[in-house]
Amino acid sequence: MAIYNIQVNGERRQVDADPDTPMLWVLRDTLDLKGTKFGCGIAQCGACTVHLDGKAVRSCSLPVSSVANASITTIEGLSENGDHPVQQAWMEWDVPQCGYCQVGQIMTASALLAQNPKPTETDIDQNMSGNICRCGTYPRIKKAILSAAEKGGSNE
Amino acid sequence: MSNSLKTSRRTFLKVSGTAGGGLILGFNLYSCSTMPDNPIFSNLEINAFILINGDGTATIKAKNPDIGQGVKTSLPMILAEELDLPWEKVTVEQAELDGRLGSQFAGGSTGVKTNYDNLRNAGASVRDVLVRAAANRWEVNAEDCKTEDGFVISGRNKLHYGHLAEEAAQLELSEAPPLKDPQDFKIIGKSKSDVDIKKIVTGQPLYGLDQEVEGMVYATVLKPEVFNSTLTSFDDVEARKLSGVIDIFKIDAMDNPVNRVDGVAVIAENLWTAFKAKKLIKASWKEPKGYITSLKQLKGDFKKGLAAKGEVLRNDGDVAAEFQKSGNVIEATYEVPFISHSQMEPMNFIADVRENEVFLVGPTQTPGSANALASRITGIPRENIQVKFTRIGGGFGRRLGNDYASEAVFISHKIKKPVKLVWSRENDFLGDLYRPAGCYHFKAAMNGTEVKAFDVNICTTSRYLYRGGSPAHGTEAFPDQQPAGMIPNFRVSYSPLLTNIPVGALRTPGVNATTYAYQGFIDELAEKAGMDPIDFQLQMIGDEDRDMPYSDHGGPTYNTKRLRAVINLVKAKSGWGQVNREGISRGFAAQMVFGTYVACIVDVRNISGKIKVDKVYITADCGRVINPIGAEAQVQGGVTDAISAAFYESLELQNGKPQAQNFDQYQKLRMKDSPEVDVSFIANGEAPQGLGEPSYPILFPALTNAVYKATGKRVRELPLKKHGLV
Repeated sequence: MAIYNIQVNGERRQVDADPDTPMLWVLRDTLDLKGTKFGCGIAQCGACTVHLDGKAVRSCSLPVSSVANASITTIEGLSENGDHPVQQAWMEWDVPQCGYCQVGQIMTASALLAQNPKPTETDIDQNMSGNICRCGTYPRIKKAILSAAEKGGSNE
Repeated sequence: MSNSLKTSRRTFLKVSGTAGGGLILGFNLYSCSTMPDNPIFSNLEINAFILINGDGTATIKAKNPDIGQGVKTSLPMILAEELDLPWEKVTVEQAELDGRLGSQFAGGSTGVKTNYDNLRNAGASVRDVLVRAAANRWEVNAEDCKTEDGFVISGRNKLHYGHLAEEAAQLELSEAPPLKDPQDFKIIGKSKSDVDIKKIVTGQPLYGLDQEVEGMVYATVLKPEVFNSTLTSFDDVEARKLSGVIDIFKIDAMDNPVNRVDGVAVIAENLWTAFKAKKLIKASWKEPKGYITSLKQLKGDFKKGLAAKGEVLRNDGDVAAEFQKSGNVIEATYEVPFISHSQMEPMNFIADVRENEVFLVGPTQTPGSANALASRITGIPRENIQVKFTRIGGGFGRRLGNDYASEAVFISHKIKKPVKLVWSRENDFLGDLYRPAGCYHFKAAMNGTEVKAFDVNICTTSRYLYRGGSPAHGTEAFPDQQPAGMIPNFRVSYSPLLTNIPVGALRTPGVNATTYAYQGFIDELAEKAGMDPIDFQLQMIGDEDRDMPYSDHGGPTYNTKRLRAVINLVKAKSGWGQVNREGISRGFAAQMVFGTYVACIVDVRNISGKIKVDKVYITADCGRVINPIGAEAQVQGGVTDAISAAFYESLELQNGKPQAQNFDQYQKLRMKDSPEVDVSFIANGEAPQGLGEPSYPILFPALTNAVYKATGKRVRELPLKKHGLV
């Protein structure tokens, strides 16, 4: 075990963890930020997506020892009141079915819009294809992203 | 407000006042016939199913588990409609297991269909007692009072429900309250967002995996790679050296009443340590006798099974005689693979087994059975076992069995601590109950465009045989499946196969395989007849309006007029036969599934030999639609999910071990290959049916029939990946 000082959602947090512990478990079980989900553990499904210095990354494959100087944003820190344009669009289109993968989808989508505020459908397809939705909400995810983009989606 | 509902179920109702001047209403929604299944909680105390608050708002309990099918929203909508309270004034809370609420179950697309009448009645009873309370206060007749948006009104008098709650609590509830005329519905039939939407998009702890209890430790399990192997020995020396490991021990197959499989439990202070320790265990396994080593071997077993000509499930006329005299006999064999549930939330459950009580919380489609199993494992009486169920990160039938919940109970009972059991994704693939693989041999005799004889011989790895239930053909072969009853000589035979591959229910069990095979073969017959596939099926269904007997789930009958109606609407919506888009090939299929009628047209492109789905049109008749935005999502989702299975999914074996144990090897559909899905409904006032499953099976044949048009290749064995088509 070792002590790490990490920055999560704008706050400095001190955690005691094995160096190889993925950020996913540090977030969920040490810092009690349960919004980030566990899906596969090998960076294939995208359920655990968070922002690392603004970029979408898979927290299940990101050891705590590697994030010392970076800033992490989770769904809990994406917006103050759940009103990020992407979250709003998700509500407007009633995107989720079971909802389990949606936090990861939202984190990927919000990183995309921050980088590319007016993505084409092809941009969306390419950027979102790392996130699996077993319920099949892809058609609505796409509509929600386009509508968030139209309303000036990145919140930044 | 008229036509009192005749319901076979009896609804016991209780009221009581609250200290704050509100009204608590307890409901008992079970029928007399199901009471023996609910031996727990037999008292009739108030169970706070509905709470009318002093400010005129209400809290309604959602009785069933929500696995993504939307019942946490749609069931309370039904109640709120008859309560005549604006949806904005309703708060929905998840109920826990409570025998008084009747069946609390997610499966078979039955949630709306089996609760519609009871929930209407419940809402209407509350509205009725509030009206009578108002009438008493104003000294007018109840008939002279009406309700509107959560107020009772009579002449100049107007009070919201909260003001009447205390007085209403003194009155007896009516067993047969007046119901609304569906024409006056304000909530049913209007789109409502999922009640959890804000919590979902802000990452609130809604799921089983997000739960915690005081003092809990974490557990995971090691399972054999060859299914149903026996543990002969294990070495945990290295694993125990990890700091944070609490214990490691064998779980004997007999320790778990569901899916009896040996395993090794790893208990640790945190989950990551448990996962790491599991990888350090060196276990030796003995494979089960006669285990399946490869799918090739399975093919041989299917061949033998078909040759054995199993049990005849239906035999109309004389198929053999017709084949003998016919000069036009067509044969084809279809096959479906084992497929995984791969629901996004891995298996997990929290169990806290104490001296003489148990607390359980987690994702389960059958909380009642979790309670029964916990009692069986611990010997603690069922009434001392509390079960809370969470929103569920995908069910698809995987969470019917509670094998993982039982595992958590066993571990907590053994270590005498609350435990949170979490499976890794690899556990999920090694511990799944796969969709049974099956083989379907068809033979038909034709005279011109008419099918004179139809013979289907089926062999599948029966899930009922696997789990020791009967009959073996249950949810594997359906004697009344269309076109049974439409062809004079018709035979269905079935032989079950028992293998070591665990099999279970997956979205439209059985029907997801037979629909593909039947509707694929019928498309071949249409071609032989030289007819348009839609015209051919309509001819087979006939112009007469008939109620066709249907002895399986979705019966007792289905109606040919409703079937024709969905076909005609999807045909019109897609412009079938009218619009020809460059490079697009189309396939069609239609059937009644679990009481809902579905017709589907798939448009594909052949891009250098690879199939791209361009668009899917689907029409459903599920009777009255409760929540249109949710209904559309279910149909879209089922179609998209089926494209994933049709394109890629199959359990491949190497020396008996699953090749794919995670999503790097087991491919799922991604957004880039997900098409637009145009969903339409037939608006009619028929009794509501389910929607979580029916769109799933119909996509397979509509897709493969389109692939044939695009490539000239009949895909008689799924998935398309096997043929290099994706």
